[in-house]
Amino acid sequence: MNTIASPALPGIAPAVLDDPVELRRYTRFSESQGQPAAESSLRLGGLHCAACAGLIEDALRRVDGVLEARVDPAAERALVRWDPARTRASALVAAVQAAGYQAVPDTAAAARTLRRAEARRLLWRVFVAGFCAMQIMMLATPAYVAAPGELTPDMLQLLQWGSWLLALPVMMFSAGPFFSGAWRALRTRRIGMDVPVALGIAVAFVASSGAAFDPAGPFGAEPYFDSLTMFVSFLLAGRYLEMKARHRAAETLEQALDVLPQTAQRLDEHGIAHPVSVQRLAPGDRVRVAVGDSFPADGVLLDAPTQADESLLSGESRPVPKAPGEHVVAGSLNLGAPVTVRVERVGPDTRYEAIVALMRDAVSRRPQAVRAVDRWAGPFLWAVLLLAGAAALAWQAIDPARSVWVAVSVLIVTCPCALSLATPAALLGATAGLARRGVLLQRLEALEALAGVKQVFLDKTGTLTDARPAWCGATPLAPMGAAQQAALLQQAAELAAHSRHPLSQALCEAVPAAGAFEWKAVREQPGAGLEAQDAQGRLWRMGSAAWLGLAPAPQSGASPQAWFGPPGQPLLRLSFDESLRSDAAAAVQSLQAQGLALALLSGDDDERVRELAQRLGIASAVGAATPERKLAVLREAQARGARVAMVGDGVNDAPVLAQADVSFAMGHGALVARSHADAVVLSGRIGDVAQAHQLARRTVRVIRQNLAWSAFYNLACVPLALAGLLPPWAAGLGMAFSSLLVVLNALRLAR
Amino acid sequence: MDILFLLIPMSVVLALAVLGVFAWALHDGQFDDLQREGERILSDEAPRA
Repeated sequence: MNTIASPALPGIAPAVLDDPVELRRYTRFSESQGQPAAESSLRLGGLHCAACAGLIEDALRRVDGVLEARVDPAAERALVRWDPARTRASALVAAVQAAGYQAVPDTAAAARTLRRAEARRLLWRVFVAGFCAMQIMMLATPAYVAAPGELTPDMLQLLQWGSWLLALPVMMFSAGPFFSGAWRALRTRRIGMDVPVALGIAVAFVASSGAAFDPAGPFGAEPYFDSLTMFVSFLLAGRYLEMKARHRAAETLEQALDVLPQTAQRLDEHGIAHPVSVQRLAPGDRVRVAVGDSFPADGVLLDAPTQADESLLSGESRPVPKAPGEHVVAGSLNLGAPVTVRVERVGPDTRYEAIVALMRDAVSRRPQAVRAVDRWAGPFLWAVLLLAGAAALAWQAIDPARSVWVAVSVLIVTCPCALSLATPAALLGATAGLARRGVLLQRLEALEALAGVKQVFLDKTGTLTDARPAWCGATPLAPMGAAQQAALLQQAAELAAHSRHPLSQALCEAVPAAGAFEWKAVREQPGAGLEAQDAQGRLWRMGSAAWLGLAPAPQSGASPQAWFGPPGQPLLRLSFDESLRSDAAAAVQSLQAQGLALALLSGDDDERVRELAQRLGIASAVGAATPERKLAVLREAQARGARVAMVGDGVNDAPVLAQADVSFAMGHGALVARSHADAVVLSGRIGDVAQAHQLARRTVRVIRQNLAWSAFYNLACVPLALAGLLPPWAAGLGMAFSSLLVVLNALRLAR
Repeated sequence: MDILFLLIPMSVVLALAVLGVFAWALHDGQFDDLQREGERILSDEAPRA
């Protein structure tokens, strides 16, 4: 199951790199000074220090036709401008490889550049607002601390003018997003959070300007540039935090969907293989698939029998034998022998893509909580506007000089600044805390759902057990001594070294080859076993019971076994078992101790799943489940009203992960599963899920405290503002303090 | 204290100027790659623009 998530960058054939279809995915063509130029983004591998970047740049610049090369060592990316008339993209990749590094096309570069620009712009807005707010604070201080009469009126005037000048960049640049957001909302006849904020800022600025330049005018003599700018910088800082979280989620998703150009070996009419892009394949093409490669498309096996590892699709960890004429599935791995396949379905028609589509469907149905907040926000915002308007009207009658200020105070004090920070700050704090424990949270809202989870579904392979079988012992089938048995086992291990079958690999790992035996004429019969001759020319076989000439053993449900010996008279029975992860039992106990109901949900054989569940003390187990069946089981549990978490790691788990209220993917799992899970458990230890659940509960407590405090603050201050007892500066200050309190409370979670 | 009438406008203008210079440096890409600029002196290639 680790094949897709392998960290090493794969090699790609030059013909595929230069294929215009693929080239367009990572290269921008432009023209400067009448000269055509191409700009390619490459993802680099093998960098270990900043000096490597210089070496790669040099190597790229030495290629004839390269105009400019820039390497970003932190991001491990290169941006190369080159002349399409003088060189090719494959030459760039070759140059990097010749320098001792790896390079593959970077298809997600455009989106990343956009995100970076967005983050930079917003950070700059925050900085400008914060910087100017501090300057204004300095100019405003004398008016607060001076004794009456100490400050001459013209000095006060000068300070106010200075404040006005410094407030200009904040209003015109930093507060831009609020105004444009409010304008967008108004144009579509909706009301958004930006409307009262923009209105409050605009009214406060106009009134303050009036007060600064015409102290005798209708706005009174007291400008509030300091509270105004502080208010803007706090709000912007909150937005920046939110954007950061959003970008990180987008990045992880992109990494998974950023599928590298895959190469297929297409046969022409003379039977000669040519590397082409997978996207160029059409139904009817014949492709050659080497052992260990994945099938590029759904198709029919033509020449030789082989075995396919379909664990990514069906969850079944044992290789499936395939005879000529049988169908193979895109994305599964060819394990047995090099074969030729006739392509039947490509691209979106393949079963792999169908599973991905199933999962997208499940994802798109989810964000109901978000819409609920929107529905609730509308009436609230109208109420705020009406309240402020009514207050202004009422004070028009009582004291016209104060009516504007009361309205501004109401708008500022009701601004749900602490309220809107309460949840994201706590979630971000918890995210940081989780990251320190090796759990990467991809969707912030998942924490709230996790705290309420009642039932946890666990996948078996790769979650509770290691994905690969482990050798657990040999049983002699004929009378023999211990020394003889050890020698036979050694012999078997030497033979197994010739095969890539998972069972052979497990045996080789357990019994290291010593090179004592020499096997001749080794042949692998896919789906059956190995055959070879020893030094005396005697025929030996290793593999299934039928291959050794025994009656097929009744072992369909039990753990896998293999036999070894001359045909017809097996001498050793080799037993294998899926190795239980060392921490699985403890993790299951701690999850149960937290009051969670556990259930196993696996695509593997039913009997094996039940046996494992019994061993771990898990009450409920469903085996032989297809992705559709898993989805149905999960929906059933949700229909009973339980909040459900799912822990899995394969592509076939992805739709189920998306349907669950909270989903965890193991760090070594398939990329698709990782990108659609709410959280990725980097360590692959299931015990981390228990810790995450605990932290989620604490997070929800902190969120409740934060919400209670900010709601209390807002509710308590609105009457004060309406009564004219709360000047705007106090409203702004109170808002800042309550925001700070909320953030500090949230930071407790990060430890 | 008359000097304040000169110093206050000056401080305001200075603050705006600092903001402007920093904006120029930031958008000019001077903070893009802080680590490699320091190491450039150690490489024997010709200095880059």
